[in-house]
Amino acid sequence: MIVSWNWLQEYVELGMSVAELTDRLTLTGLNLEGVAHVGDDVAIDLEVTSNRPDCLGHLGVAREIAVLWQQPLREPTATPATAGPAVTELAGVEVQCPALCPHYTARVLRGIKVGPSPAWLADRLRTLGIAVINNVVDISNYVMLECGQPLHAFDYQKLAGHKIVVRQSRDGEKFLAINHQEYELPAGTCVIADTEQAVALGGVMGGAHTEVSPDTTDVLMEAASFAPLAVRNTARQLQLHSDSSYRFERGMDPERIEWASRRCCALILELAGGKLAPGVIRCASPTVPRPTVRLRLSQLPRILGIEVPPQRVHKILTDLGCRGDLSSAAQPDAPCLHLIPPSWRADLTREIDLIEEVARIHGYEQIPEDASVKMVASQPSREDRVVEQVQAVLVAAGFDEAMTLSAVEQDWVQKFQPWTQAPPLTVSTPLLRRANCLRQTLVLSLLEARRNNEKLLNRTIELFEIASIYLPASGSEQEGKGSQHNASEAGLPDQRRMLTLSSGRSFADVKGVLETLVRTLAPAATWTAVAWEDRFLAAGRACQFKLGERVWGVLGEVSPWGLDSLGLRGAATVAELDLAALTALAVDVRQAQVMSVFPPMRRDLNIVVDQQVSWVEVERVVRQAGDSLLESIQFQDDAYRDADQLGAGKKSLLFSLQLRSQTSTLTNEQADACRDSMVAALEREVGGQLRS
Amino acid sequence: MALADFLANLEQLAEQAESAFSSAGSAEALEQARVEFLGAKAGQLRKVQQGLGQVDKADKPAAGKRFNEVKRLVEAAFAASQQRLAHSPVESQPALDVTVPGVPWRIGHLHPITQTIRRMQDIMGRLGFTAVEGPEIEDDWHNFEALNIPLEHPARDPLENFYLGVAGATSASPLLLRSQTSTVQIRVMEDCVASTAPGEDPPPVRVISLGRVYRPDTADATHYPMFHQIEGLLVDRGVTMAHLKSVLRLFCQSYFAATGEGQGEQVHVRFRPSFFPFTEPSVEVDMNWTNAAGQSSWMEMGGAGMVDPAVLRAVGYDPEQVTGFAFGLGVERICMRQHGITDIRALYQNDVRFLEQF
Repeated sequence: MIVSWNWLQEYVELGMSVAELTDRLTLTGLNLEGVAHVGDDVAIDLEVTSNRPDCLGHLGVAREIAVLWQQPLREPTATPATAGPAVTELAGVEVQCPALCPHYTARVLRGIKVGPSPAWLADRLRTLGIAVINNVVDISNYVMLECGQPLHAFDYQKLAGHKIVVRQSRDGEKFLAINHQEYELPAGTCVIADTEQAVALGGVMGGAHTEVSPDTTDVLMEAASFAPLAVRNTARQLQLHSDSSYRFERGMDPERIEWASRRCCALILELAGGKLAPGVIRCASPTVPRPTVRLRLSQLPRILGIEVPPQRVHKILTDLGCRGDLSSAAQPDAPCLHLIPPSWRADLTREIDLIEEVARIHGYEQIPEDASVKMVASQPSREDRVVEQVQAVLVAAGFDEAMTLSAVEQDWVQKFQPWTQAPPLTVSTPLLRRANCLRQTLVLSLLEARRNNEKLLNRTIELFEIASIYLPASGSEQEGKGSQHNASEAGLPDQRRMLTLSSGRSFADVKGVLETLVRTLAPAATWTAVAWEDRFLAAGRACQFKLGERVWGVLGEVSPWGLDSLGLRGAATVAELDLAALTALAVDVRQAQVMSVFPPMRRDLNIVVDQQVSWVEVERVVRQAGDSLLESIQFQDDAYRDADQLGAGKKSLLFSLQLRSQTSTLTNEQADACRDSMVAALEREVGGQLRS
Repeated sequence: MALADFLANLEQLAEQAESAFSSAGSAEALEQARVEFLGAKAGQLRKVQQGLGQVDKADKPAAGKRFNEVKRLVEAAFAASQQRLAHSPVESQPALDVTVPGVPWRIGHLHPITQTIRRMQDIMGRLGFTAVEGPEIEDDWHNFEALNIPLEHPARDPLENFYLGVAGATSASPLLLRSQTSTVQIRVMEDCVASTAPGEDPPPVRVISLGRVYRPDTADATHYPMFHQIEGLLVDRGVTMAHLKSVLRLFCQSYFAATGEGQGEQVHVRFRPSFFPFTEPSVEVDMNWTNAAGQSSWMEMGGAGMVDPAVLRAVGYDPEQVTGFAFGLGVERICMRQHGITDIRALYQNDVRFLEQF
């Protein structure tokens, strides 16, 4: 809401500077957006929150100033002289949809002379950036900007049947607005019609047909109220937002309608001449009396943390327009005020609303910033602690943390679905460009980030991200419809946090990072990698990770098809782990083991086995045979597969052992015996042969 | 002589000898120490060996064995020092160009948003707030109804939210990407109430919720459809706006003093009236901010207020018994301000050159 400095002075004494005024208003609820000098006037742009439509007019802002500076508020009079036949003889009003238009009034002025507005009026509108049109239109705008109540003047002679019918639009009904654009109205829109056609959109915009023109001599002046939600829907559906719809959406003062109508007519008589027909045509739903609000004075310190003297509380609220029984404040044991808030403050209906009013006028600067708050212990969640460790390991391993959008494009989803085959959840509007599918894996998003980095010719692109994926609700059906405010998460999709990596390094490199990670979180965890096929990942270079039967992660080099379909140039390896599984594995508090004081012995082994024998089997056999003497086993190589040397379908496995006893220094003989038992076990269980 | 005394002398001597050898700075000094301890005629060790004769007969083998062990250790210590003095690195290895860079060691970098969130979480943790998380896909009870945002409120407009287009979804409870982290506060309070025995008062709540939120803003330098919020909530008997202001001041003081900005200065916060459906009174929070040129100004931190009685009632707390405050801060704004990031989109483009700055 832009207000004019000169205009405000009409209603309240401005003894302060512009800066002083705007500072104070900012701290009491009207935030300063900007100040501009227009001619000899100052335009002050104030942000008005949606609960304060009373400040969408100069009078409302002036009232705030009057309260803050303890000045009287001067309201203009609105008592136009009338003459000629009564308005009821000249026009009729019928409201068919009182739910959409609870209050409608009409007055008729005849014999006016449409012409330019006087300079003082035109200047004030210009200060506010309002187009100056002609005296009648300008005056209706002026009164709206004075008191907030929108008004509309119809050319009386162009109203068929001299009748106003407020009704809902018919299906497919067309309307030519004052901006000379034609709109097809959604059925049920609140229109102001004459006996033939719609002549205005209730609360939104007037029509071209009955627009006030230089030839107009008689006008019907509308002052009404329209249902906020209906106005908002109409304005939004037709993309037709106006100063009028803006105000009606927020709800206007019902008791200001009559005043605004008279005020507008008085100004027209003064500036455009003519005669006002006596009386008013009013169609109004019965008004609900405003309820009395009880304010217990003890609630002020309870909420605000400060005492406000009762006289001050009383003064603030009555200055703001509250009326009511003041004597009850004198009750000594539980003093309270019973007040009826003013008609222009529909936002004040509860005790807490009045407390807020007292607080903002009394001043939030009165509230101390050094109150002591009770001490309470807090602790990070287990998941947060795991996330911190994960981040530390990955940063140490050379991965940068990325943050990518939670949605991807439709075309992308099916390229890689490691966790589900179900179609993705979608949102009604894409988050960005065409990304309207909530992602089911972070892999695609991280590869997109990788592609963007490739385009920038960045050489090392090692990324990880921890974020949620969104899968359709698993298992149980939605709860009964009546229990939607159930504390449980029933009915919500399955949202899991993932840890995802995309790397330019090899399968083995990334696997090593993951192994280091798991070892850091859970030194004794046992988990297995199982070969896995997916067209997105290169054949024979992908796996799932399992804990027991449960899959908790995937790893693989992206297949040529995958690289090509995402437009990636270089090789990439990806991995994704379920963070909840990692969290469950993690060992929080470590226990110290006693280290053997005796020296270790090393032995290297070269065993020839069938190529399909997996390392994990060999390791299991070796560990079993080595028993307590085997301290560690280290894989070295399995690349050597020369059929001439080893026999067809064989491979040579190189690995090292570290042996150590807890109770004595191992002798060479003991170490050899241990190794021999491993070789024997390997021969027995996996057909392994010691290669000499 | 008792065995224990003999051994004690022996150990003490060994310690002295080893210390003398390792502290010898030159061959001469080392030779002097050698004569002192290992000298064949009058060395200390020799003297102790003579004492062996006085040990009780039964203890003699043990004493002798230990003497030989210690002697070997002392001799080894001498040899090590000899070697140390003989191999001065300057003499044995070619000089390095110390200006040549070391072997590169690549480490990664945490995203600036993560770093900002961590700092905030740490500070709030010290102030007794436990971090909680909740689902990003929410129902309209948690995102709106329980937060005192009725159906006709503009915030619920389909154009202001990302509603899910789930096939077969009931219109009674549409799902959406949460537009604020206040949803988590509702869940926390509901859980507290649900876990309270009948007839008892639900426990106090002191949490922060953190995470991604979504609003259909067109992406530009200052807007992105996805961003992060941190929200604090304290519900207990006797909580006032003075507590809210004080907690926020402590937060700002800790945050900005810890990061070098406003260091040594008192940070102050101020409240400006505002309007949020789920708090009343509602305020905007500003922090006084001194820029590089030394000019002080107010920086917007976020919104706050006292939990609206309707919200407390909706989740099962009695507003006559408890009061509460809540605040919400935009993580991106604070992060960008602190790190001099001028375009919010840079945070989500993941250019590694950008990420590696932090």
